[in-house]
Amino acid sequence: MKFKHIIGLLGAAAISVGLAGHASAQQTIKIGAVFPLSGNAASAGNHAKAAIETAVEIINNAHPELGNFPLAKDAGLAGLGGAKVEVVYADNQGSPATGQNQTLRLITEEKVVALTGAYQSGITLTASAIAEKYGIPFVNGESVAANLTERGFKWFFRVTPVASDFAKIYVDFLKDMKAGGAKIDTVALVHDNTEYGTSVASVVTSVFKDSGLATPLDVAYAANATDVQSQVLQLKEKKPDVVIMVTYTSDAILYSKTMQALDYKPPMIIADDSGYSDPSFIKAVGKISQGVFNRSSWSVGPKGSPTALIAEMYKKNSGDEMDDTAARQMQGFFVLCEAINRAGSTDPAKIQAALKATDLKPDQLMIGYKGVKFDDKGQNVLAAGVIIQLQDGENYVAVWPKGSAEKPPVMPYKGW
Amino acid sequence: MRRWLWPSVALALVIAYPLLFSTPFQQRLGALVLLYAIAASAWNIVGGYAGQVSVGHVVFFGCGAYAAMGAYSHFALSPLVGIPIGIVVSVAIAAVVGVPTLRLSGHYFSMATIAVAELVRLIVTNTDYLGAGVGLSGPTVPRNLFDLSFISALPYYYLFLAILVTTLGITWWMTNSRMGFYLRAIRDSERAARSLGAPASRTKLYAFMLSAGLTSVAGALYAMMFGFVDPESGLGILISVKMLIMAALGGAGLLFGPLVGAAILVPLEEISNNVLGGKGAGLTFVLYGAIIVLIARFQPGGILTPIMRLWSRRGKAPEIPVATGASHAP
Amino acid sequence: MSTILVQVIVGGLLLGAVYALFSSGLTLIWGMMNIVNFAHGDFVMLGMYVAFVIWTLFGAGPMLGVPVAALLLATLGIVVYFGLIRSIMKGPMLAQILGTFGLALLLRYAAFWWFGANFLSLPENIVGGTFDIFGIRIQASRLLAGVVALLVTGGLHILLTRTSLGSKMLAVAEDSTAAQLMGIRPDTMQAIAWAIAAGVTGIAGALIATFFYIVPTVGETLGIVAFVTVSLGGFGSVPGALVAGLLIGVIESLSAYWIGAVYKDIVVYSLFLSFLWFRPQGLMGKS
Repeated sequence: MKFKHIIGLLGAAAISVGLAGHASAQQTIKIGAVFPLSGNAASAGNHAKAAIETAVEIINNAHPELGNFPLAKDAGLAGLGGAKVEVVYADNQGSPATGQNQTLRLITEEKVVALTGAYQSGITLTASAIAEKYGIPFVNGESVAANLTERGFKWFFRVTPVASDFAKIYVDFLKDMKAGGAKIDTVALVHDNTEYGTSVASVVTSVFKDSGLATPLDVAYAANATDVQSQVLQLKEKKPDVVIMVTYTSDAILYSKTMQALDYKPPMIIADDSGYSDPSFIKAVGKISQGVFNRSSWSVGPKGSPTALIAEMYKKNSGDEMDDTAARQMQGFFVLCEAINRAGSTDPAKIQAALKATDLKPDQLMIGYKGVKFDDKGQNVLAAGVIIQLQDGENYVAVWPKGSAEKPPVMPYKGW
Repeated sequence: MRRWLWPSVALALVIAYPLLFSTPFQQRLGALVLLYAIAASAWNIVGGYAGQVSVGHVVFFGCGAYAAMGAYSHFALSPLVGIPIGIVVSVAIAAVVGVPTLRLSGHYFSMATIAVAELVRLIVTNTDYLGAGVGLSGPTVPRNLFDLSFISALPYYYLFLAILVTTLGITWWMTNSRMGFYLRAIRDSERAARSLGAPASRTKLYAFMLSAGLTSVAGALYAMMFGFVDPESGLGILISVKMLIMAALGGAGLLFGPLVGAAILVPLEEISNNVLGGKGAGLTFVLYGAIIVLIARFQPGGILTPIMRLWSRRGKAPEIPVATGASHAP
Repeated sequence: MSTILVQVIVGGLLLGAVYALFSSGLTLIWGMMNIVNFAHGDFVMLGMYVAFVIWTLFGAGPMLGVPVAALLLATLGIVVYFGLIRSIMKGPMLAQILGTFGLALLLRYAAFWWFGANFLSLPENIVGGTFDIFGIRIQASRLLAGVVALLVTGGLHILLTRTSLGSKMLAVAEDSTAAQLMGIRPDTMQAIAWAIAAGVTGIAGALIATFFYIVPTVGETLGIVAFVTVSLGGFGSVPGALVAGLLIGVIESLSAYWIGAVYKDIVVYSLFLSFLWFRPQGLMGKS
């Protein structure tokens, strides 16, 4: 009798252990997403929300048409018995303090098992700090400040390429263009003095120096400018062969309008993603910015391809075309969900271990990285990008490197 | 004795709050209320009692925050070291800025302080030593207790409470001193105060410096709790405005006005964000803005004003002169 | 002088005229009622959205957008006056800041809720293209805004100094009780002042929309410039706002060109502060 009792207890314990490890089909996996849904960056934040909603739709429903794409074929997460993913969104209001408060709420009140966000690097910094304290994995798909992965964190993973990757892309691209006959003797670097503009500009400048290219002429300005005429006139006077633009949407629109008004067309403009990728930019001033090059990791791809299908779904959700920032956020979220699926558990430590073991190949990604694999600091070492061009003023097409180019690059900058 | 019943109950509730509402978010909410109450109470000294509506107090807030984070990131010291540094720098800035700007009356003073705050923000944004646009961060993994980097908000709560009590104590002492007497006289009519021999300029300057030093403590505490400061979050004009509206909403020139204002606005902001923020439609701020408008419309002197009036009448104490901030500019 | 430098100055003047244009409504309210309208930038924002809606619905430019914006914003001004301002203007200055700041958030995020967070823009050629005069390029849309700025300033100045309505408004501003004894209704006068100020701000918004982007938070970007313009010009002085606007525009452009764009606002604020030291009442304010 007693023996039987013990056996029974052991059996129950074994079952409960098994149950704990294997979530039932009814279970939902809660993930937190902190984005700037109001404030100055609300446009980007709401696009991020739409991107993640699209990803959830792909994960939770069967999408065999997406082929090899992880988590698409079956409904829910197969590794957790088909559990559905549920995302709890929170608004960081563009404030590092609010970002941290909301992250704390998601962890302790909503009991999310992992987090993604938070767009602005400063907010990603404070939000991931609280996740680190609680031991909850935080996967970032879009913030580029270098210091994020220099803090010795164990729970922070970043999928996106960072400034040094961008700089290398520019160097290689410009060298190829030079070999093709383009003049690249003088370069101007126009950037705002936010954390994004400053950090990208300083890395680009030092990488250019190291690669034997011309040291860029630095044209810094304060973000959310009321006027940029003087900067454009400075460029008009200095006549650089290449202008690199590191700006957010508001200023990007203003620069395009002002360049047209002052009749200034540099031979080549390369934009550093961000503002120039925003669909609002293309809608507002695409027609007067024809031929602008842009750094991007996202490219729609041919009709019927998985990426084109994803872009279609996204457009249905958000009403806008998919842009690079939204795509990188979506990719970051997929990487997180793929790790949770592989972990087969909602235990944060197991998810963390799975993230560390992540090894995704290019054909498992929706974006042009060479793969996803994290180093000790949590940075994806295989992040990469391509150069796209707004040839017709409506849609960007990939033009470099040759392997992923849909069309050859067109020179010089056409403008309007 | 009955007069002290309700204040004692209120104090007991404040002390017991984090034990009654013990989830991490509720405790943090409590700590945030106290933090903003410190800042708004510090502002109250010059904005409420002296009637000089400063919209540039974020400069002092930023001094504290940057000093705390700078002590850690440049010298690997405890952020606590930044508190005295922040106070010294703030008081010095207040003295330099105060002498010319406190001569200005009403709106011109407010505008000048806005300009000073924007100037400081722009300069810091372009100063690499202060982290420029990137900002400065604090310790994430605490090395020892003095890093003041806790997971739970409980230690912050009682630390902030102690500092708030100190701030209110200083304010109370000031109002009952000769300085407080002068300040009230200046606020009601500067010309009359001067003609009666009150040293108006000097008194206003002292109040400004005292207020600046206390504000910088709030800034340092803020940076320690969040572990980060950048030009927008440490020197943005919105923080000045927050101090101001919290004091005004509760009742400027009243000892507990800023605390009441913070106790209403901070939970309102956080909870409406919890409920509505995730929808991404901006409804949080529609609600927040509407409530501020309604309070301003129906209770322009602040929420505490009618309560104070009632309370002082019931206690049969002499009518408390209800102070409601700066009068009209001439 | 090189062509580029002339272009910088011309650009600065045109920019300054725009600053003056969207500051005139603010200075009117400030001078008449001693109220700092923290929601001013958001009134400009609403004017911009009106212009955008008119363009999407009817394909019309500022010819229709400007009058509609003026009318709608004037109505809003009256509503705001009777709904909020009338009761807070008797209160302390803090209540005014509190009330108008709350109003700013309310308007900004109502626009956000309705129009979304995306950046919008009107087509570049909505006012006609760009003139080229001896190599100096002048955008028609900015020129139009500049001309309207001059007209509005002149109009408001004449209204306040030469008409009986203006004298009545000034009488109320000077001493509302005395004005009442003379048979002037302060309420009506102040409501009219709000209607005019908001209407002018609507005009400014509709014109700025022809060369600027439109987004719910744009009022924040523009609002602070308006504050500096108004206090530099002297509270309540409409011509002062014009001179101050032009001055700030040119100083911004020149310092951005010579010293660097990140320093232009540092120059403007430093000059503004040192100017207040010598002349606390602003350029044309009453001491």
